[in-house]
Amino acid sequence: MFEFDLLELTRETITLAVGLTAVLASLGVILCSSPVYCALYLIGNMICLALLFLLYNAEFVAAVQIIVYAGAVMILFLFIIALLGGKKEIQESPAQRSIVFALIITMLGELYLAATVGPTKPLEGVFDSKTVAEVGGSAKAIGLELFSRHLIPFELVSGLLLVAAVGVICLAKFSYVPLRRRVK
Amino acid sequence: MFMSVELMLNSVNFLLVGYSNFLKSVDGQIFALMIMAVAAAEVVVGLAIILTIFRTRHDMDVDHIDVLKG
Repeated sequence: MFEFDLLELTRETITLAVGLTAVLASLGVILCSSPVYCALYLIGNMICLALLFLLYNAEFVAAVQIIVYAGAVMILFLFIIALLGGKKEIQESPAQRSIVFALIITMLGELYLAATVGPTKPLEGVFDSKTVAEVGGSAKAIGLELFSRHLIPFELVSGLLLVAAVGVICLAKFSYVPLRRRVK
Repeated sequence: MFMSVELMLNSVNFLLVGYSNFLKSVDGQIFALMIMAVAAAEVVVGLAIILTIFRTRHDMDVDHIDVLKG
């Protein structure tokens, strides 16, 4: 007679369900008819990944994923798509719309389940520094590791972001005007 | 095309966080944070390049970008 933990089984099932939704959303990214829909499916995929991070006891990475990836990078994508004007290639059927609604409702349900069932639990009692640091994956634990053992990659990444910002400004500025001035 | 790159980077992130949970260490999550920062920088620069190409050529077909001239 084998014994199993009911909470573990539920957690495994929910991990499987969220993972399946992430795979379906990524299929939607590839197979969609309009670029805006692809970007929206990618946002759904990133939110599913954030839920998986919550289930894997990595709360800080989940929050950063939603804030940075799904919140800033994908919005930039949508801005560029709106600027360049992607056209719809084929007309969507009503069946596709119901699939989208089902996906959204499934993800909302999975958000609730992932937040309650997984090891990420709201901390009860005193917000002591000891109880917070015990939960590995919290901001304090990542901060302790990041600023002591992984300090050099952290500084290099900040330099990388600076270089990227300067590069983008150069690309945006030097398209038209200096060429015309030099021709004279 | 760029969204496929984002998909691949997200999959690497997911793998890293899964293994950090399995091996009970925080290093995987820190590496995932670095990869997120690098992916954000790469998306920004890639989209700026696309915008520049679209400004000069008004043609967004990837198959036509095959000559390395200004």
